[in-house]
Amino acid sequence: MKAAPISLSGFSIFLGERPLVKESSFAPAPGSSSVVIGPTGVGKSVLLKTIAGLLPARTFRLGGAMRVQGIDAYVNGRKTGHAHWSNIMNRGLVFVPAESAQAMNPALTLEQNLKLLAPDSRPLIERRLKGHFGLDFASFARLYPDEVSGGELQRITLMVLLSRRGDLVLLDEPTVNLDRNLRWRFISFLNKEILPARDKTVLMASHDLDFIRALRLDDVYSLEKASLQRLDGLPSANGFQKPEAKKSPAEGLAIRDLSQSYFKRGIFGERSFKAFTGLSIQFGRSTIYGITGPSGCGKSSLIKAILRLLDGTKGEILLDGEDLVRIKPRERGRDPGAFRAFRRKMAVVQQDSRFAFFPDRRIRDSFRHIAELQGGPGSFDREELLKHLAKVGLSSVHLDSHPRALSSGEMKRIDIARALAAKPEVLLLDEPFAHIDFETRARVMRTISDYMAQNPTILLVVTHEDFDLRYFVEKSYDFPELVS
Amino acid sequence: MKKLYRIARALVLLALLSPLGLAWLPPDRLPLRLEPAFQAVLQSSFRQLSITLAATLALAALLTVVLGYASVLWQRFGRTGASILKAVESVPAILVALFCYAPVSGYLARHSSGASQTVSLLVFILAATLTLLPEAVRGVAIPLGDLYHRKYSLSFRSYGFTKRRILAVLMGSHVMRGTLKRIAAGILLKTLVLDCSFGFIIQLGFGSYGTPAHASPGALIAANRDALFEGGTPALFWLPSLLLVAISTSFLLTLGEREEAAA
Repeated sequence: MKAAPISLSGFSIFLGERPLVKESSFAPAPGSSSVVIGPTGVGKSVLLKTIAGLLPARTFRLGGAMRVQGIDAYVNGRKTGHAHWSNIMNRGLVFVPAESAQAMNPALTLEQNLKLLAPDSRPLIERRLKGHFGLDFASFARLYPDEVSGGELQRITLMVLLSRRGDLVLLDEPTVNLDRNLRWRFISFLNKEILPARDKTVLMASHDLDFIRALRLDDVYSLEKASLQRLDGLPSANGFQKPEAKKSPAEGLAIRDLSQSYFKRGIFGERSFKAFTGLSIQFGRSTIYGITGPSGCGKSSLIKAILRLLDGTKGEILLDGEDLVRIKPRERGRDPGAFRAFRRKMAVVQQDSRFAFFPDRRIRDSFRHIAELQGGPGSFDREELLKHLAKVGLSSVHLDSHPRALSSGEMKRIDIARALAAKPEVLLLDEPFAHIDFETRARVMRTISDYMAQNPTILLVVTHEDFDLRYFVEKSYDFPELVS
Repeated sequence: MKKLYRIARALVLLALLSPLGLAWLPPDRLPLRLEPAFQAVLQSSFRQLSITLAATLALAALLTVVLGYASVLWQRFGRTGASILKAVESVPAILVALFCYAPVSGYLARHSSGASQTVSLLVFILAATLTLLPEAVRGVAIPLGDLYHRKYSLSFRSYGFTKRRILAVLMGSHVMRGTLKRIAAGILLKTLVLDCSFGFIIQLGFGSYGTPAHASPGALIAANRDALFEGGTPALFWLPSLLLVAISTSFLLTLGEREEAAA
C-alpha cells in the first residue's frame, strides 16, 4: 500500500508565542487534491513551506511529528537530518512558491534554469506552455530571467515547476500574479493535466475562492485559529457598501500619446522594444479606475512611467497642469528638485509588498527612515498610520516585526496603510489585494473607500481579479485596448 | 542545538585555517618538531601565503564591492566594465599572472632578494586580483541588481530615496552579507590555487634561485617532489600538501554554505 504523502500527527507551528497550527492531524489520501483556505496571515503558506522543509528554524518553533512520502520529516518538532530529506526529495516533492518566478536563478538563462529544475521535461514544458499559455519557449530560451516580463516569467516558471518529476505537489497561492485570462487557462490546465491523472497528490494554499471553486478538488480544509478543519463546502464571498467619494473641481491626471520603450539584451547586443505606445487617457479624481489586461502588456510599466521611474518615456503625463515627463525625462536614481513636490503627491503599493520595507529591519524602523527622508516626523502622520492599520485589521504590534516574520497578506495591508498615511493625491495600486482573503479584502477596500470619502484622490488599480472588479472598481479599462 | 552546530563549525574552520596562524609562531613554540631547515622554509612559505591571501582578499574584496556597487548604480559603467572583465576572463589566470610579471622582470633580476620578493608579491597580488575580479564583481552585481530592479526600487524610489542610498542599504542586507562572505571564500580559494600553481611552475622552471622569487607552499612542494622517490622523506612533500588541503577545505566549506530560505 502506498504511504500517505503527508501525515501530520499532533503537529504545531508557532511564530514566537503565536500558534499558527496547533496539534493538528492531517493526512490527505495519495493522488488526492486538496486546498487549505483561511484568512490572510493565518499560516497557510507557512504550513506548505514546513511540509516542503523550507521554514527558517530561527523564526518558527515546531512541535509534534510529520511524515512526508512516508519518511520522518519532523520528529518531536525537530526537522530530521539531511539523509531523510534527501530521500523525501528523491521520491519527488515539488514546491511552487507564491512568487514562483523566484525559483529561477537570475544568473542563468531560462534554458539553463530549465535544465537545472526539470532536466528531462523540456518537450512536455514546451507543449504545455504553447498549449495552455500560448508561449513559445524556444524564443525565450536564451534570455535571462530579468529580460522577460514578470508575467511571462511567471508562466514559464509555473510550467517548469509543475512539469518536474514528483508525486507530491505543493502550490502556494498559484494565481497571485496571473491575469484573469491566464488564470482561466491555468485552471483549465490543472483540471485537464494535473488533477484528473491522480498520479500526484496536490495540496495548495489559496485565498482565491473563485479559483478554488473552478477547480476539480477533492477536499477543502480551513486553517483558522490555529486549527485545520475539513469543510463540507466553500464559504461565499461578500462585498461591502462603498461610501461616496469626496468630489473636487481640481484636474485629474491626463496622459497624452504616451509611449514606453525598454532596452532588452539580445544575441546582437541591446535592442529597444516598446512596452506600449499611443496611450491617451484622463483619470479624474474620486473615481476608482481599474486597469486589467494580460501579464506583460505594460500595466506595471504605466505605473512606473507615471511615477517617473523609467527611461524611454515619450508623450505627456499631466498633473496639476505640469508635464511630469518634461520635468523628469530620465530615471538617474534621484529626482530633480522640480519633481520632488510631485513625488510627495504620489504613492504606490507594489505587487509584492514584502519589498516595500527595509530587509532585516523592523517595519517601525522603515517608517522612521521614510519619515526622516520626507522631512521629519510631521510629514508622516503616525496617528494616521495607526488609524489605517487598525482599519485593515492590524495593530502597532505588527510594526515591531521584521518583514520576513509577516505573511504576504499582512505586508500588503501594512503597505496599503503606509500609502494612505502618506495622504497622496495620486494613489497607484498594483495588484493591491493579492494574497488577501476575500473577507479581509472587503475590509481593506472599505479603508481605501473611506480615504476617498475624505480626500479627492486619483486612484488607479491594476488588478486581475473578478472580485475586485465586481465590488471595488468603478470604471475599468482593458489596457491592450487603450494602447495602439 | 543550532548554536552548538555553529560553534562546532567555527571551531572546525579555525582548526583547518590554523596552519596560516601557526606559521607566525616562533619555531620552538610549534607543537610539531621537524628538521630545522625544512621547518623554517615551511613556516616562511605559509607566512608568505597568509600575506598573499590577506592582501589579495583586501584588495579584491574592496574592488569587488566598489565595482559591483558602481556597476548597478551606473548602468553604462556596468556594461563597459562587464565587457572589459569578460575580456580578462577569457585569458587563463596563470597566463595573466605571467604577463603581469613581464614589465618588472628586469627589475626583479637586478635587485636583491628582499626587494625582488616584495615587488614579486605586489605583482602577484595585482595579477591575482585581476583574474578574480570578473567572477567576484558579477557575484555582487547580479544579486544586488536583482534586489534593486526586481524588488526594492519601485517602493523605495517612490518614497524619494535615491538609488545610491537604496543600494547602500541593500549592500548591508543579510542576503548580500551572505553573498559577500561566499565571494570572499571564493577569492581566497582561487588565490590559494593560483599562488601554489604559480609557485610550483616558477620552481620547476627556474629553480630556487630563479626570478620571480615566489616562495609559496606550491614552490616548496615542487622543490621536494623528489622526496616521494626511494630514499626520500615523503613527509616533506605530503606535509605542505595536506596543510594546503586543510586550508582549501575551510574555504570550500564557507563557499558551500547555504542560507535558509526566507519565510
